[in-house]
Amino acid sequence: MLLLSAVLCPIALGTCLPLFRFKRRLPREIYTIAVTLITGAMVVRNAFFTQGDISFSFLRLTENVACSFRLDGLGRLFCCLVAFLWPLASLYAFEYMEHEKSPNSFFSWYLMAYGVTLGIAMAGDIVTMYIFYELLTLVTLPLVMHGMTPVRTAAGIKYLYYSLFGAALAFAGIMLVLARGSSAAFTPGGVLAGLSRGDVPLLRFGYILVFLGLGVKAAVFPLHAWLPAASVAPTPVTSLLHAVAVVKAGVFAVIRVTFYSFGADLIRGSAAQWIPFGLAAFTIVFGSVMAVREKHFKRRLVYSTVSNLSYILLGAALLSAGGLTGALLHMIYHALMKFTLFSVSGAVTTVTGKERVPELSGLGKRMPVTFAVFLFSSLAMTGIPPLSGFHSKWVLATAGIAAGGPIGIISVSVLILSAILTAGYLLFIAYRAWFSPDADPAPRRTECGWRMTFSMLAVSLTTLTLSLFSGPLTAFISSIAAGAI
Amino acid sequence: MDLLLPASVFLPMLAAPVSYIIGRKSKNARNIFAMAVQVLILFPTLWLLVRALSGKDAAAFSLEGFCGLGLHFRSDGFRSLYAAVAAVMWCFTGLFSPEYFAHYRNRNRYTFFCLITLGATLGVFLSDDLYTTFIFFEIMSFTSYTWVAHEETQGAMRAAETYLAVAVIGGMVTLMGLFMLYRNLGTLSFDGMAAAAAQRDSLSALYLPGAFVLFGFGAKAGMFPVHIWLPKAHPVAPAPSSALLSGILTKTGIFGILVLSVYVFRHDASWGLAILLLGCVTMFLGAVLALFSVDLKRTLACSSMSQVGFILVGIACQCLLGEESTLAAQGTVLHMLNHSLFKLVLFMCAGTVYMHLHKLNLNDIRGWGRKKPFLAVCFLIAALGISGIPLFSGYVSKSLLHEGLLEYVHEGEGFALIAGVVEKVFILTGGLTLTYMTKLFVTLFVEKHPTEQRKYNKTGPYLTPLGHIAIGVPACLLLLFGLSPAFSMQALSFLSLPFMDAHPHAVDYFSAENLLGALKSILVAGVAYPLIVRGWMMKKEGKTRIHVNRWFKRFDLEDTVYRPFISLLLKGLGFVALGADRLLEGVLLPCGVSLLAFLARTADRLLDGWLLPGLTKAGAAAAAGFDAVFDRYLIPTMISVGTFFGRVFDNVTDAVALALKNTAFRLIRPSRGPTVGNRFTYALGSFLDKCAALLNRTVLRAHPIRTRFVPALAAAREDAEENVKHFTRTLSFSLLLFALGLLLVLVAVRVF
Repeated sequence: MLLLSAVLCPIALGTCLPLFRFKRRLPREIYTIAVTLITGAMVVRNAFFTQGDISFSFLRLTENVACSFRLDGLGRLFCCLVAFLWPLASLYAFEYMEHEKSPNSFFSWYLMAYGVTLGIAMAGDIVTMYIFYELLTLVTLPLVMHGMTPVRTAAGIKYLYYSLFGAALAFAGIMLVLARGSSAAFTPGGVLAGLSRGDVPLLRFGYILVFLGLGVKAAVFPLHAWLPAASVAPTPVTSLLHAVAVVKAGVFAVIRVTFYSFGADLIRGSAAQWIPFGLAAFTIVFGSVMAVREKHFKRRLVYSTVSNLSYILLGAALLSAGGLTGALLHMIYHALMKFTLFSVSGAVTTVTGKERVPELSGLGKRMPVTFAVFLFSSLAMTGIPPLSGFHSKWVLATAGIAAGGPIGIISVSVLILSAILTAGYLLFIAYRAWFSPDADPAPRRTECGWRMTFSMLAVSLTTLTLSLFSGPLTAFISSIAAGAI
Repeated sequence: MDLLLPASVFLPMLAAPVSYIIGRKSKNARNIFAMAVQVLILFPTLWLLVRALSGKDAAAFSLEGFCGLGLHFRSDGFRSLYAAVAAVMWCFTGLFSPEYFAHYRNRNRYTFFCLITLGATLGVFLSDDLYTTFIFFEIMSFTSYTWVAHEETQGAMRAAETYLAVAVIGGMVTLMGLFMLYRNLGTLSFDGMAAAAAQRDSLSALYLPGAFVLFGFGAKAGMFPVHIWLPKAHPVAPAPSSALLSGILTKTGIFGILVLSVYVFRHDASWGLAILLLGCVTMFLGAVLALFSVDLKRTLACSSMSQVGFILVGIACQCLLGEESTLAAQGTVLHMLNHSLFKLVLFMCAGTVYMHLHKLNLNDIRGWGRKKPFLAVCFLIAALGISGIPLFSGYVSKSLLHEGLLEYVHEGEGFALIAGVVEKVFILTGGLTLTYMTKLFVTLFVEKHPTEQRKYNKTGPYLTPLGHIAIGVPACLLLLFGLSPAFSMQALSFLSLPFMDAHPHAVDYFSAENLLGALKSILVAGVAYPLIVRGWMMKKEGKTRIHVNRWFKRFDLEDTVYRPFISLLLKGLGFVALGADRLLEGVLLPCGVSLLAFLARTADRLLDGWLLPGLTKAGAAAAAGFDAVFDRYLIPTMISVGTFFGRVFDNVTDAVALALKNTAFRLIRPSRGPTVGNRFTYALGSFLDKCAALLNRTVLRAHPIRTRFVPALAAAREDAEENVKHFTRTLSFSLLLFALGLLLVLVAVRVF
């Protein structure tokens, strides 16, 4: 029951927010933060103070298809990530949204998106997940289009089209699972164990469809184009939804369906492994190269997200416990690092109005805290030991090499090449920000407000702590991965 | 578990933020604090060294689970020696720094990163597995960037960019090599790797990973062809940093190569040959670059590169010689040690010059060292040492390296021929070293500046007491080493031998053969200096002869090869990625749409142009056929038949009706006697009859009126009477009368 309430609370209270017609900032902010914190508390209660898997079935669609929630290790991981970042992102959004119009509707959708994301994390079967997955498209669409400027509307429409296309593909594959699987519920190892030989190619084809369909949100090439377009949305949307909630939901859904519905055994060694692996590997390099080319700061980070999401997909496509561990580690680490990076870009734009990369030279002295955070996150993203990016890449590459053969060589080369390119598109900005003379002859210290600074610092410190003391997290993720294979 | 190890690594790192915070409040306090940290860190490292010297077991410490594989430290003889050297370097540069940086900006930043780099460097030298080495190596790379970029001038930024690029690419390539090594050997711990490698039949699967790892470590060491950052970074970095970059950071690269050569490729001749050739090129190229340079610090930087080449030759000899690698191992260690101290002294001397003149060009600084005996003596000790002059420390290490090389040549096996050539280059490079050091010394301390000499002579106290200590103590140490090799250097080198898997072996440092080698080098210098340096490389300008840069500008590996290559690579990749980015929306979608449109149009055409006309024609033909059949046969027949039947049926009713009418229902008119009419009709009829008769007789003879008017009028009257009867009984008549009445009433009203 607490599972359902954790999902419904933000959705219901978010829907109610416009009813209050908040005129002033403070009550609205208190309302929003209270909802996020209450939900967070429920999530924490569910995740930490329960034993084993808990489940709750709330709607029976047909004889074998029921909508249910179930909280297992993987779900706990994603829930906690979301519940940790949402309040901080809200804090950041409060300050950022002072410059945008109609905050009531913004925060209303913002809270609803929280509940829907939790719904994906806790979904116990493929149908529930699909429903929430599509709901996520619908509730985040107004956030992308917020303000309804022509650019944002166009981006929103693009987002919608891509998502609908993906939904159609995913739906086809999911129907196959429902038709041939022993149950709709997520089961470690998959539900297609007793498949007749004739059905195997069909189901593998179905997996490719699902991968592509859910891969739309994970921005896998060639279905990535909506993500750079959506970077015109307000920064809190980009930093939370397009670095954490939406895209990670995509990745999460791919992992769920791969390991808990289709099962690694069905896919291993077939085109159904090769195609996702190849697409992910290509997207990694592709995203990094596009990021190097991109001169717009925020879009550069978006392309970096495109690249990094595919690290996770690559790890999943290895279909080994090590690969999945690396993938999940990178899912967590990347969420934290990218959240910080986007927050920095938003802070820089808010304070100085600068959006393009060459303009950032020398800003380090003007916004020392912001750029210290940025330097730190860039180092972590590049994978400089002992920071988090290095750890996840190490696990991923070790798993890749352990897979052996062309897969091993491709995955390691791709990771290394991308790491070098990451240094090219992030680290050089960070260093130039610190070591170039400021264009302004008399620079003054102008940091952003405490709420933005606080959220950036809090997430950075978490990243640092997690990278230095990654033992418990790694152990937890390894146990999930070992169970899922 | 020995806490001294993590303490010496992590304490400086922890001290860094503290120094930063102190620096926000007071510069002096920060300087004292930083200096104190750098001096104090000497104690744990020296303690480790003393422990190793006294023959106790190596201290070890591990931090499991840190960042995945965990951190592992160990301080055996060699590692504690090098940790101590690192601490010594930091200690003396730390003493020199406050003076040198007196007028610099951003010193807080410098101190912060300097302390982190100290910890990271100690971490590299104390590491017990390549994973730990790599972690600290990377930290060190990225923090030492700040040294190169410190001055923030355009040149510094460019050099720093190169440094960072080399660090990133080198680091990542090394990481790739480490992945592969880990996969192949199953461990990265030094002893574990040695054991795993020893069990393999062939090491050929390890060459590629080895080359990757070598790339990164070689880049830091300044090995050809990845030395490009070195000659650029040193001149722009502040002098204490240059001393550290050159004296100790290059040694971290050497440390990595040494681990690779001694633990993974132990006694592997092919690997040895590769290192030998790379070392030989590095050694010679560095010396040539140094000879051509007209910049004090650049000369010293290129000299570093050259000396790294010497050390690499030593490492190569260890691999080549196999079991008898003692001489080469000793030479390697001692030359590393010596070179660290040489560059410490030399760069601080250069720093002293720069601190006062802010110039480094040899033509500008000539003569500044005159009448400054302390500086001259210190510089001379280091210069003679690095040139390998007997009785100075470099002679000992170079002789050992040379003897190791000769040993391999004399064995006459394997690649002895190549080693013979390398030996010649070794002697030649030794000569060139003496040549460029002479060039520096003569320029700085012997020649006179044409215009400024008087000012230069009156500089006054040019170093603080701390500065004197910072330069003087290492110089004395070098002198001590050179004068008593058997006591000091030999002990240190024996200490390091276990790390390199070699066994102690006493050497006669002043044997005839070794002296001969040194003599040859001196002879080379004796010819090269007057001919090349004073002849070709100097030009008379006005009254004085000045140094000219005779180097060919085109010969810059970075500008001619690496930068164009990388930009080309990025452009190529960018082109592909951009193409791919546009693929979906620019190509696939339009193509799909066009394809669909094409299909639709084709279908349309097919329908419109083919199918419909065809169908129409066929239909028309069929229709025409049918039409003809219909028209000609069916319809006429049907019509005739139909008509026939129609007529028949049509007429049947009529016929029946007629028949009935004429038979059963024959109309029988009631006989109504002839109508007589009234008087009026009779009279009128009679009159008209008479008129008619008259007319018939007269006018109308041809057409007589045959009507009998009397009965006709009588009939007409009866009809009219009948009609009026009908009419008067209708509603219309009543309405008419009503209307008439109304009209009359209106007329009456109107009139009356």
